[in-house]
Amino acid sequence: MLGKLLKHEMKACARLLFPIYLVLIVLTVMERIVLSLDVFNGVLQIIPGFLTFAYIISILAIVVLSFVIIIFRFYKNLITDEGYLMFTLPAKSHQLINSKLIVSLLWTFICIIAIFASLVAVFYTPDRFHVFMNGLKTFVTEFNAEIGDESILFLIEIILLIILSLIRGIIQIYASIALGQLLGGHKIIGSFAAYIGLYTFTQILLIIVLFIGGSISNKSIEDIAILPQMIFPVTLILTIVFNAAFYFLTNYIFQKKLNLE
Amino acid sequence: MNAILECKSLTKKFSGLTALNNVDLTLERGRIIGLLGPNGSGKTTLIKLINGLLVPSSGELQIDGNKPGAETKKIVSYLPERTYLPDWMRISETIEFFQDFYSDFNPKHAYDMLERLKLDPSKRMKTLSKGTKEKVQLILVMSRKADLYCLDEPIGGVDPAARDYILNTIISNYNENATVIISTHLIADIEKVLDEVVFIKEGNVMLHSSVDDIRSKEGKSIDTLFREVFKC
Repeated sequence: MLGKLLKHEMKACARLLFPIYLVLIVLTVMERIVLSLDVFNGVLQIIPGFLTFAYIISILAIVVLSFVIIIFRFYKNLITDEGYLMFTLPAKSHQLINSKLIVSLLWTFICIIAIFASLVAVFYTPDRFHVFMNGLKTFVTEFNAEIGDESILFLIEIILLIILSLIRGIIQIYASIALGQLLGGHKIIGSFAAYIGLYTFTQILLIIVLFIGGSISNKSIEDIAILPQMIFPVTLILTIVFNAAFYFLTNYIFQKKLNLE
Repeated sequence: MNAILECKSLTKKFSGLTALNNVDLTLERGRIIGLLGPNGSGKTTLIKLINGLLVPSSGELQIDGNKPGAETKKIVSYLPERTYLPDWMRISETIEFFQDFYSDFNPKHAYDMLERLKLDPSKRMKTLSKGTKEKVQLILVMSRKADLYCLDEPIGGVDPAARDYILNTIISNYNENATVIISTHLIADIEKVLDEVVFIKEGNVMLHSSVDDIRSKEGKSIDTLFREVFKC
């Protein structure tokens, strides 16, 4: 069942996102060609200038559109009239949430990879690659010198934190939309209010826990090792707790308190 | 064999308002049942409860011996009283969608009915009129071999000529073990296909009887009886 839900969700999103990815590919190729030509003099310089502007806008558009579509799909497909279709499929409500969440994450990764690949395609030259690699080496050396033997731990924690924060960004919006639909006629306003509420509450909780953690930790705040040893692990654990809470809240509302008009 | 639907003291309240009040109702297999009542009487609430879109406040409800859930949704075919198909899909894509999710769905059946009603499967939902969308939805819902069909206002938005075709579709498309619940207030139009009626008023079941019994005992048509029971 999850597989089928994923397939149809991918298709529905792909249809919305395909045009902007096509624009990015075309602009990437044009930008690469135009930047490698050195024939624009005088007033003609407006051509590469304009193209670069369009290219940057297309990258921003992919980020913004991906974000908007993630929210739009969840809202439109589950709690407007389409909800009558989705919630009467022989699927469990957590399967519906999982399919939306997995596809959203997938599109987020596709978005990141596409932008990275496009930048490489436009700007890659062997010289620049060398400069970049040298910069990276210097950074790694200095990083190791500063953090010492905890650099691996630091790296793992950062990666986990990024992934879990991405999930949190999505699931927190899902929970807000689920809470907002309880208001019936004011679903959208309710969702915004719920988001602000959840955001404020979780941030305050995080600060309090970090403050308590800081006061019992023997590390001083100036010591960078406080990051991998205290701040990151605490933030990680709290993010996992928040994610689980948002997930179960969304599922509970869909199971027991669904309020389709 | 279990009754297809069994409600025991089924109650649903919405913040202060009782939409269904202590409903006891058992529906057997192989019947076409009219769920009749004025607007706001609780018809849609009952159908939403059957389909798991709402959860009872108290009491219980079983479909073929199970509470509403993924298992019962496999055997219940539901037509809501609104257009619920994504408007960007082509008719053919909605057929693929149903085929993917419902193992009892017969696409050939659906395409035959589309052809009969002269509907072009390559058309997108958003280009169709409201009545045409309702026809497409009904075709999808009736192309399943379900045990229980819940049709909420299936003929409200379509013209009288199509109404006859749709009613014929309903009575000729279900197997003898299946039960069809039709909720409506257009009684005269559907009276001739009904085996049983359930009258519902302000959340209470006023009457549950076979059509033949009403005709022989009361000597009245359902339409006349309805007008008497629900006289304003």
